[in-house]
Amino acid sequence: MTDDLEAALRAALRPVDPPEGFTGRVMARVASAQRHRLRARWRIPAGIAAAVLLAISIYLHIQQQRREGLEARRAIVEALRLTDEKLDLAYQTVREASGT
Amino acid sequence: MKLSCIGWLFGSLLLSGVACRAAEPRLVLPDFSDLTKKASQSVNITLDSSLLVMAGKFLDGDDPQDAAVREVIKGLSGIYVRSYTFGEDNAYRQSDIDAVNAQLTSPGWSRLVQTKDRKSGANVDIYVMVAGEKAIGMALIASEPRELTIVNIVGSIDLDKLRKLEGHFGVPGLDAATTASPPSKQK
Repeated sequence: MTDDLEAALRAALRPVDPPEGFTGRVMARVASAQRHRLRARWRIPAGIAAAVLLAISIYLHIQQQRREGLEARRAIVEALRLTDEKLDLAYQTVREASGT
Repeated sequence: MKLSCIGWLFGSLLLSGVACRAAEPRLVLPDFSDLTKKASQSVNITLDSSLLVMAGKFLDGDDPQDAAVREVIKGLSGIYVRSYTFGEDNAYRQSDIDAVNAQLTSPGWSRLVQTKDRKSGANVDIYVMVAGEKAIGMALIASEPRELTIVNIVGSIDLDKLRKLEGHFGVPGLDAATTASPPSKQK
């Protein structure tokens, strides 16, 4: 009885060679899992960085628009001031000529 | 002979091109780079319709001056100013502004006001381009011994609103503009 059990165990637990390519497949799977973990680890920081970059570019764009708008406003005021000054020059001449 | 004919033809085409463009309320302002170099102070303002719209957003409606400016630029499609101040008298020549005057002799432009002040030597010419009963363009040339200013405003101009900017300038109404004699080219 004991001999039978021992023989059965020996038969069941006998060393078996892995099939061809088994080691390669296991190592490939390990490497893939590592890459996946690395990607997952960088996903959140990369998302935050992209969001920050987007926010900065939007902010800079708004600032640029604001600068251009204020510059255009200043130019309009200057243009109308000059126009008014010269119109006034003509007006003064007309007024002096008419003696009023 | 053949070359001179080609030159004449080319010149005619060029002149007719200039004449065609001159019928627009927007003047083709020369480069004036020589005047810029000579001037002690120069102002070069080019505002097209998109810049006018953008600037309008930055005008404060609660500020009286900004509100007046907003009223003036409503309906305008361009403001172009070239102004040069010199350190000495007669730093520029009449020929410098001949190209501008030539455009103002074309049909469509009428001289609204011409003033000459012999004492100060300041001359101001104001032209308008009228379509229907509306002024669609205005040009102003102010030549003083030490200053030359050219203003071209394009679009629907309400001179009353322009007057309100400082509140003390009055120009003849647009009726006068339509009956004004055709401008003559100044030499």
